[in-house]
Amino acid sequence: MATASRLLVITTGSGIGASIATRLGLRGDLVLQPDPGLDLTDAIAVEESFRSLVGSVPVDQVVLAAIDPSAFRAAPITSLSEDEWDQAAESSMRAAFVVLQQVHTVIADGGRVVLILPTVVTTGVADLVPLCTAVEAIRVMAKAVARRWGARSITVNTIEVELAAFMLGDEIGGGAVAIEVPVVPVLGQPALPSGSAVDDVLGLVDLLATPAAAAITGALLVADRGTVMQP
Amino acid sequence: MSGLHGLMDGRVVLVTGAGAGVGRGVSAAFGAAGAIVGIGVRRPEAAEETAAAVAAAGGTPVILRCDVTDADQSAAAIAQLVAEHGRLDAVVHNAVSGRSSEATDFENTTLDEWEDHSSVTVRATWRLAVQAYPHLQTSQGAYLLMSSPAGIEGSERAPFYSAVKAAQRGFVRALAREWGPDHIRVNSVAPLAISPALENMKILEPERVKRIEGLVPLGRLGDPETDIGPPSVFLCSDEARYVTGQTLVVSGGRFTSL
Repeated sequence: MATASRLLVITTGSGIGASIATRLGLRGDLVLQPDPGLDLTDAIAVEESFRSLVGSVPVDQVVLAAIDPSAFRAAPITSLSEDEWDQAAESSMRAAFVVLQQVHTVIADGGRVVLILPTVVTTGVADLVPLCTAVEAIRVMAKAVARRWGARSITVNTIEVELAAFMLGDEIGGGAVAIEVPVVPVLGQPALPSGSAVDDVLGLVDLLATPAAAAITGALLVADRGTVMQP
Repeated sequence: MSGLHGLMDGRVVLVTGAGAGVGRGVSAAFGAAGAIVGIGVRRPEAAEETAAAVAAAGGTPVILRCDVTDADQSAAAIAQLVAEHGRLDAVVHNAVSGRSSEATDFENTTLDEWEDHSSVTVRATWRLAVQAYPHLQTSQGAYLLMSSPAGIEGSERAPFYSAVKAAQRGFVRALAREWGPDHIRVNSVAPLAISPALENMKILEPERVKRIEGLVPLGRLGDPETDIGPPSVFLCSDEARYVTGQTLVVSGGRFTSL
């Protein structure tokens, strides 16, 4: 499978994004990663970080998996203060805008942008209103950007995975994990046998980097092994 | 709109951004359904036409100062409606940023422009919900968000508007589950309708409007009062008692696969 030669991977330092970055590095790809502590809503800091990492040679592919961790705390909206709402819902949207805006300056023509998000919006999840709000906003921001950047042959697509896989990545099933994963209301089990969501996503990231995927943009690929199947 | 007659008799509704366009049309439709309509506007002096339309349709207008980016104003508007009329049955959040019809230069703009959109469409969506919750819980009422087809397909010209309208759809799906046990229904409408911006475009760029209309199977853009109003009233009425978590695309068939 052909893959990009230089990738910029933006994560919050944990979850599926971090696992993807690790796997890419282990197999020999040149992975550029901003400091996981970088404030992705700080446009100047993000610009400086990207410039410093990327230098004068544009990247071929960008992977963005960055939802503010506060969005995963299950709570009724009526219990949230305005600051809590802002952090849980709006900060991830701002980060998506800031990151995508700077990606535009460091990605090559014909490059591939992949956003990774959790599959929470298709069903909607009680007590995760901020997360669902942010995810749907970012999904559609990606579509709008796909339309804008198509003239440069840049594709922008979204891959969604189950919430637990998004939050934990390769740590899923690990006994030492102390993160509480909210319950997503799905009826039934995945159609396919269980497997590694990181492998599943990595396969799609690779696929989207191939010439065969040059015509796919603004798309949503759901890698949940056939759990939701909606609409 | 005779089909709406009596559908909201005695019910109390707050419509934000009600001074013009879809907000005015939806307000008039609620009036035709017999509602007491709180006309939420930033400048009360700009609400007279809407108030007249509500009254002419048979409803009871109440003009309320309600800049939805001001928490105190939206809380006061809700409190006034409840104090004067004893209940709140529905909130229709229709207000958008004053820049919503402008093109956004995504690659060169700043977070200030994002904030213009987000404060009205995202933060106020959350805040109005929180402020209205105890009253909607009592009335087993409805929360309706006026979204947009742009919030489903993504607009090249309006990436911020698209994103914040999409945010509302994600909000609707999740909150419908959260508030279902309280029997509060949460839905959205994605209208394709004549807006003040489109009215202006009709004068300045009539050919562009014709091209847009040519994409609509029903051959025209929706009328805020007679095309967008009735489905909005329906979703807030008892007739939609089993409908929640949905986005109803009202576009004359322009969008058929969203």
